[in-house]
Amino acid sequence: MSRPALALRKYSVIASVAIREKFAYLASSTARYLTYGLFVFVFSRIWAAVYAGQASIAGYDRVMSTWYFIVAELPIFSFSAFFARVSEELKNGQIVYRLARPYGFIPASFAERVGPALLDLAVFGAVGFALGFALVGPPPVPAGLAFAVVPALVVSLVLSACLQFFLQMSLAMTAFRLEENDAFYWIYQKLALVVGTLIPIEFLPDAARAIARWTPFPAIAWSPARILVAFEPRAALSILGVQAAWVLAAALLSSAVFAAGRRHVVVNGG
Amino acid sequence: MTVIETRGLSRTFESRVRPRGFAASLKSIVKPEKRIVNAVRGIDLEVEAGEVLAFLGPNGAGKSTTIKMLTGILHPSGGTARVLGLDPARDRMKLAMGIGTVFGQKSQLWYHLPASDSFRLLGAVYEIDDATLARRTGELVERFALAPYLETPIRKLSLGERVRCEIAASLLHKPRILFLDEPTIGLDVVAKREVRVLLDELRREDGVTIFLTSHDIGDIEKVCKRAIIIHHGTVVVDESMKELKHRALKRKRVGVKWAGPADSSLPGLEPLKHTEDAAKYEVDTTKHRLEDVIKVLADRGEIVDLTVEDEPLEDIIAAIFASRSEEEAHVAAGARA
Repeated sequence: MSRPALALRKYSVIASVAIREKFAYLASSTARYLTYGLFVFVFSRIWAAVYAGQASIAGYDRVMSTWYFIVAELPIFSFSAFFARVSEELKNGQIVYRLARPYGFIPASFAERVGPALLDLAVFGAVGFALGFALVGPPPVPAGLAFAVVPALVVSLVLSACLQFFLQMSLAMTAFRLEENDAFYWIYQKLALVVGTLIPIEFLPDAARAIARWTPFPAIAWSPARILVAFEPRAALSILGVQAAWVLAAALLSSAVFAAGRRHVVVNGG
Repeated sequence: MTVIETRGLSRTFESRVRPRGFAASLKSIVKPEKRIVNAVRGIDLEVEAGEVLAFLGPNGAGKSTTIKMLTGILHPSGGTARVLGLDPARDRMKLAMGIGTVFGQKSQLWYHLPASDSFRLLGAVYEIDDATLARRTGELVERFALAPYLETPIRKLSLGERVRCEIAASLLHKPRILFLDEPTIGLDVVAKREVRVLLDELRREDGVTIFLTSHDIGDIEKVCKRAIIIHHGTVVVDESMKELKHRALKRKRVGVKWAGPADSSLPGLEPLKHTEDAAKYEVDTTKHRLEDVIKVLADRGEIVDLTVEDEPLEDIIAAIFASRSEEEAHVAAGARA
């Protein structure tokens, strides 16, 4: 086997072992799946009330808004644990084994965290789509374009996972230098919720929307949700392109944070 | 062949001082007060291939920090280190291929999965092809007697079983140096003995260089051939186990029990403890001839029991550990030389 193939194999095996472990304890995530289902149900009722007196808000009707929420919440529920796990690993010293191995710290963490998170995404997706069909019927996909929507949506969700990983990793690695870094994640989480998760960014005032478009947050939840509820091939390609650009920028940022923090690793207590 | 070489290796840590009181806390936001801790201060080391080395020191002496610098986990603040000819900080990933690590207080195995899964993962991480991995796993399973619990999730294993799996996992890629940081911590006497036997086998049969930190003197006596004691971040003793044990031979513990009450005071020798008909002394044989001491004791009354023991190695090390400064540690080490 060639060196690049061996290198690639190590990360795929890490991901597969992590997924196996996730499978072993999938039932322990039941509460999270139920919470997501409850959120979807509650928001579908809220949208039903909001749309009682009007057919459309900023170009979204009730069905679009409900499906938007279902998809926008998927990356939030599936990909929110990266920060806590990496941060904890840095703080409790478990990082010693990661740094003593012949692999890249960030790629190995990526394989270990993103692999199981995609399994989580599949379960959340199944719950969300089942509820969506039951509550408001099928998503508003243009006739004859379903074959294009599904791969575009999947790619967008995977890009969202990558973006969330690199952003949260960058925040978590501030623990190399800072004793307490939870506040960063708290701010990140709230911004991600406000900018494109709870409501589409089209609902925001003009000025807020203009600012939001220059941040990575719409690429987390708005992008996949928009692809599903307002699919148009060229717009979808543009959305995926912007997501990919943010993923690249976040990956570079995480590498820079690692390089800067690496010299300051502190592992106390044996 | 030298496999580990350090010159003036040092590491400092910076920590924020938490001020007391509201005003001081506010002030610290603008102007934080920092404390510099010199965890390792200029360590010079040379370790030859195949050596089995005990790296000793009390808590906070700098043992783990040194190991972490030698394995590329921590960057040194000063000095240089070469391990297998590589700079650990710069060539971390390349070095990792040639060394194995076991940190007794951490686990490298997947908690919810059996050891076989962790071995498969580590095989891929160390770029071992499937056939070699299967052969190597088989060898280690046999040597470490892992067969009965190889497929049991790690969380269901006893600590002793888990440590055996940890050490086996660290050997999958046939490392030339094995760094063990307190591998027997928390183990019962039987499990400790098993680990020591395995380490001794590794030394004898595979010629692996073993760098061991432990608080357990038994580990050191049974496994190691050389002892380095560090304290306050510097090396205070670096000698063979034979020499260290020889120190113990210079000091004898003499216990005596007389048939009746006797005077236990001896010229120039205070008893460690005594009753009216018994006493225990520590005799420095470079100052007092043992024969003379026993003669004097016999003159004090009829002896019904007499014991002569070497000073426990643990006491020698404890005296060095107990010193409160680098100077005191050197004095303690020298006094017992």
